Amino acid sequence: MSVLTNIKRKMFSEQATPYVLLLPAIIMILIVVLFPLLFSLYTSFTPYKLTRPDTLWKFVGLRNYERIFTDWDFWVAFGRTVLFLAIVINLEFLFGLGIALLINRITWGQRTLRTIMMFPMMFSPILVGFQFKFIFNDNIGLMNNALQSLGITDQAIPWLVDGTLAMGAIAFAEIWMSTSIFAILLLAGLFAMPKDPLEAAQVDGCNAWQTFRHITLPYLMPFAYIAMTIRSLDVARAYDVVDTMTGGGPAGRTELLWTLIARTGYDSASMGKANAMAYVSILLSIAFTYFFYTKLVAARRYMGGAQ
Amino acid sequence: MKLLGKITTTLMAGATALSMAGGMAHAGEFDGYTLRVKLIGGAQYEPLYTRIPEWEEMTGAKVEILSRKNHFELDREIKQDIASGSINWCVGSNHTSFAPQYGSLYVDLNVIMDDEAINAISENVINASTVDGRLVQLARHSDVSNLYYIKSLYEDEKNKADFKAEYGYDLMPPETWAQVKDQAIFFADPPNFYGTQYVGKDEGISGRFYEMLIAEGGTFFDADGKAAFNSPEGVRALQWFVDLYEAKAVPAGVPNYLWDDTGLGFASGNVALNLDWGGWASYFNSDDSKIQGDVGLIRAPKGSSGKRTGWSGSHSFSITEACDNKQAAASFVSFLTNFDSQMIEARTGLLPTRPDAIEAIIEESKQAGDDWLVHVFETFGASMAEDAFAVPSTHLWIPISNELFPELQAAIVGEKNAQQALDDAAAAANQLIEDEG
Repeated sequence: MSVLTNIKRKMFSEQATPYVLLLPAIIMILIVVLFPLLFSLYTSFTPYKLTRPDTLWKFVGLRNYERIFTDWDFWVAFGRTVLFLAIVINLEFLFGLGIALLINRITWGQRTLRTIMMFPMMFSPILVGFQFKFIFNDNIGLMNNALQSLGITDQAIPWLVDGTLAMGAIAFAEIWMSTSIFAILLLAGLFAMPKDPLEAAQVDGCNAWQTFRHITLPYLMPFAYIAMTIRSLDVARAYDVVDTMTGGGPAGRTELLWTLIARTGYDSASMGKANAMAYVSILLSIAFTYFFYTKLVAARRYMGGAQ
Repeated sequence: MKLLGKITTTLMAGATALSMAGGMAHAGEFDGYTLRVKLIGGAQYEPLYTRIPEWEEMTGAKVEILSRKNHFELDREIKQDIASGSINWCVGSNHTSFAPQYGSLYVDLNVIMDDEAINAISENVINASTVDGRLVQLARHSDVSNLYYIKSLYEDEKNKADFKAEYGYDLMPPETWAQVKDQAIFFADPPNFYGTQYVGKDEGISGRFYEMLIAEGGTFFDADGKAAFNSPEGVRALQWFVDLYEAKAVPAGVPNYLWDDTGLGFASGNVALNLDWGGWASYFNSDDSKIQGDVGLIRAPKGSSGKRTGWSGSHSFSITEACDNKQAAASFVSFLTNFDSQMIEARTGLLPTRPDAIEAIIEESKQAGDDWLVHVFETFGASMAEDAFAVPSTHLWIPISNELFPELQAAIVGEKNAQQALDDAAAAANQLIEDEG
């Protein structure tokens, strides 16, 4: 009896109140987030096939992970995803920064331009994939027809077959679709930027480049790192555009982690192995997120913001 | 003559209607019941579904369509349903290449359906629809590929003379795949014109390789159930694709092509020969095609074994074991595969699975004076009856195909030689087979 009274007293004490109030939310998060994570982690230790539910109860230890660690194709896809992510994010940042700076200087029609800029984000990634698959088709595609009509080449350039060109075409589609995320966030940063430091720089005789390099850019970097964190998670999971344009091929030349994982998990129904791949690939997302947060904190510290 | 044809069609339809009467539901038999179904969606599949209200009116049941997706998406959804144990629907669209994956999801239709409905379908198709001795699906229409070509190329006197001088035999629509290779290389003038083309990814290239392997006299599995496609026959089959790619007789993008790419590419008028499905026949001769009126069609050529290629698949309907009213489901499937239903699909160019429907559509096309469609159905009908064969009946076909096609692509684009690519694919396939135990 006294134990129960003790628990009751602790539960309703002032210190415990916040936790008690948060308890429903915590329980919901555990059910919605943690349980599926633990379940998928468990399945990565089984030969679980979607079409054979009984395989869920067969424990095979680290066999899926052993296979992955010795699977050269997986690590090539892993490395290609890192490279793709690095190139796409940096280019999106550069283009987004350019667009934001240009739009910031416009005094008439800015709202219309901001809306137009958002258009690519409104398309479904699958639609974007089909659109660029057609543009880069070597036989009836717009790109080769344009190049041949202009007399630049008389060859059918195999845009989606050559490894480098195909990755370039996919990167082009990805950048076309998502550069506006950087542009919007950086534009928000420019709008929120105080005018005093800029005026002080002008009084001190800084030229436009010096003002941009030492005042505008450092001020925008926290916004850029937030955009990079969001986009790094997106690009590390790139699937729709790649699957539509090349399906990861030919001969695995454009295989990224999630085209490989989706084919293993759904088309081949080997969900146990696919989940093991997914857990290894999560390391990539964690690494990039950690890197960008570190840079974000450093940028804010540089600007005298919160630690 | 026309009158005779009309009488034949009427008699045939009448006889079929009578024979179907045994399988038909009685009026109002399923009053108040809601049949839950998952169907394949897409332009060529939809016309059949306009008949569903007729079945509803006839039986008193309602049909609730839970999904209407392309087959690859539907396949994923069905796999998820199996995994989560939520099979709360009765009828699902199926396909002969995919059916072996689904284990015991679907009932043996031999047990719950009338013999008339089953016997009306051609024997070849029934065999391909049977998995481990169980008839798990009833086919609505079939697919098999035959060779389309641009007629004027073969009528051109200069082409005839040049070809004879270079290859030593007359330029005629090809009878063998070796001749297809010669002619494709002869006609090719990249990037403006190509000799032929092929789908180059996913199950498409696996299937095309498989039929070429059979035509070369090879087998996909040996007697012990191990992968056997890395045989000399397999290497010859793959080398055909490699040689055409190296000779630039096919577009450089073929490793990325799927069915739409080959169909639209041929209709654009810059490809001489095109192995493709029957469903494209009407389109190739339509106003939207640049080769309208200049399209020829012959049976798929032969490989070096003397056998024709004939990779075939059928779109079908299956009934789940978990279905709470299998009689209603059987009535629905029977209705959607009966003579009248197959004629609706046949009029859009799809190949019926009932021999009587094939005969009737040929007769109907003759009466309409549509010689092209008559020729199409005669060619595809003969091909279905004599050449067609399905993929190996194993649930590992799709997983093995996923291991095989990147290796086929690697050989085509020159990263590996044919033997090396097939050996690597066979090793991966055997690992999958061993894992299954």
